[in-house]
Amino acid sequence: MVDIEDLREKARETISRDDVRCVFGWKRGTYGYESAPAVVRKPEDADSLIFDATCVQNPASFVVLEEKLPVPRGKEPDTRKIAVFVKGCDSRAVVQHLVENAYLRENIVVLGIPCMGVIDRRKAEKLFGESLEPVEAECSGDKVALNFGGERKEVERSDVLSEKCLRCRYPNPILSDIMLGTEVEKRAEDEFADVSEFEKKSADEKWAFWEEQFSKCVRCYACRNVCPMCYCIDCVVTKLKPQWTRRSTDISENTVYHIQRAWHLAGRCIECMECERVCPMNIPIMTLNRKMTKEVREMFDHEPGVDPEAKPLLASYNPQDPEEYIL
Amino acid sequence: MNEDFEPTIVAFLCNWCSYAGADLAGTSRMHYLPNVRIIRVMCSGRVNPLFLLNALQQGADGVLISGCHPGDCHYLEGNYYARRRFVLMRKLLEHVGVDPGRINMSWVSASEGAKFKDIIEKAVEGAKESGPMEQFKRRKINW
Repeated sequence: MVDIEDLREKARETISRDDVRCVFGWKRGTYGYESAPAVVRKPEDADSLIFDATCVQNPASFVVLEEKLPVPRGKEPDTRKIAVFVKGCDSRAVVQHLVENAYLRENIVVLGIPCMGVIDRRKAEKLFGESLEPVEAECSGDKVALNFGGERKEVERSDVLSEKCLRCRYPNPILSDIMLGTEVEKRAEDEFADVSEFEKKSADEKWAFWEEQFSKCVRCYACRNVCPMCYCIDCVVTKLKPQWTRRSTDISENTVYHIQRAWHLAGRCIECMECERVCPMNIPIMTLNRKMTKEVREMFDHEPGVDPEAKPLLASYNPQDPEEYIL
Repeated sequence: MNEDFEPTIVAFLCNWCSYAGADLAGTSRMHYLPNVRIIRVMCSGRVNPLFLLNALQQGADGVLISGCHPGDCHYLEGNYYARRRFVLMRKLLEHVGVDPGRINMSWVSASEGAKFKDIIEKAVEGAKESGPMEQFKRRKINW
C-alpha cells in the first residue's frame, strides 16, 4: 500500500524541480465514490493529493491535453516536463502514448503507484445507495473497507471493485521514474470470457442487443473526451468537412459513431474502462473495445501499452497476416 | 433467401490492379453482374473503413475492397495495411451483428478479368444470402 505522506512528499519534491510544470494526481472529491483529479502547480498544493481505491480517473488523459495546449501569439511554449501519477492501467496509456509519439519520454516524469484495484461507482451505489459525503475506500486482500464519513463498512472485493480490476494483469506500473510503495502481486488472468460469451449469440440477437444500447446514446462524446487514447486535435466525429457521421442521434448515426470509435481504438485500447465509467446512458462500450483487443491478441499477438519499443499495430504489417477471409 | 432481391455492392478498386482488371473484363466482353457500383481509389490502402460504414449507411447491401496481390502493390505496402485494417473491421461489424458476408475483400491483378467476374458473383451471392441491409441504413426522417 502507498503511504499518503510519502506520496505527497514525492509530489512536493517533483513539483519543486525547475524542469517540472505540473503534477497530475487525485484529490478527495466533494461527494460520492469517486475522487477528483488534481493538478498540482505549486509545492503547497501537494498536500491535497491522495491515493486510495476511489482514485478511478486515468490521469494519463491529461498529459496529452496539457501537451497540446495552444500557445498564444508572442509567447514561448512551456517546455518543462509534465509529471503524472499512474496506476498500473494508467501506465499502459503512457506507454501507448510513447509508442505513438504523442510526447517524448524525456518530457514526462512518471510517478508509479502499485494498485490493488479501484471501486466501481455503479456497483457501490447499488449496494449502499448514493453518498452525499466523500467516501474513502481502502483495498486490502479480498476485502474493501469503505468509510462513509466515519461510518465503516466492509465488503467483498468482487462486490464493489471495477471489472477491469477483477481481471487486472498489470497492477504495477509498467514504466515509472519514481516508484511509490511496494509492488503488489498479479491476481488474475484475462481470458476474455465475457467476449466469448457474447460471440455465441446469433447475428440477430447481437444486433437486437446493440440496437437497444446504441439507441440510448445521446452523443455527448464523454467516452471520447475521457479516453486517454482519443487525443486527435480534430476528431473525425466533430469534423464537418467531410462529415462522416451526422450529429443526429438516430440509430444509424449512433451505430456508426460507436463502430468507428471502437475501430479507432483497435490495437490501442489499454482497457482503463474510463469510457464505460463516464457514459451517462450506461452503454457497455467496453464490450466493443474488448472484442477488438481479443482479436488483436489472437490474430496479431499484439498487446497495446506494454512495450514502449513496439510499433503501432495498424501502422505496421506482416506479410504473413491472416487472409482467409479474402475472396 | 429472396430470389427477387437485387443487392447493391459498392466496390472500391485500386487504380493499378483491380480497376484495370475490371476494365479488362469489360474490354474482353465478359458479362459480369450489374449490381456492382465501382469507385476507383489509388490504392486499397487508401480506403478508410469509414467509407465502408458510409456506404452501408447510404443503402449499399455489400461492400467490396479490391487491390493488388500482396507484394505487387504499386505503392509497395498499401495492400498489407488494408488487409490488417479490414480483417479487424470485419470482426467488429460481426460483433455488432452485421453479417460478415457483406464485407468482401479480394486481390485482383490487371490481367485477371475473369477472376474479377467471379469475385463480383461471389460478393452478390453473399449479399443476397444476407438480405437487404436494414440495420443501420439511414432512414429518411419526416419531421
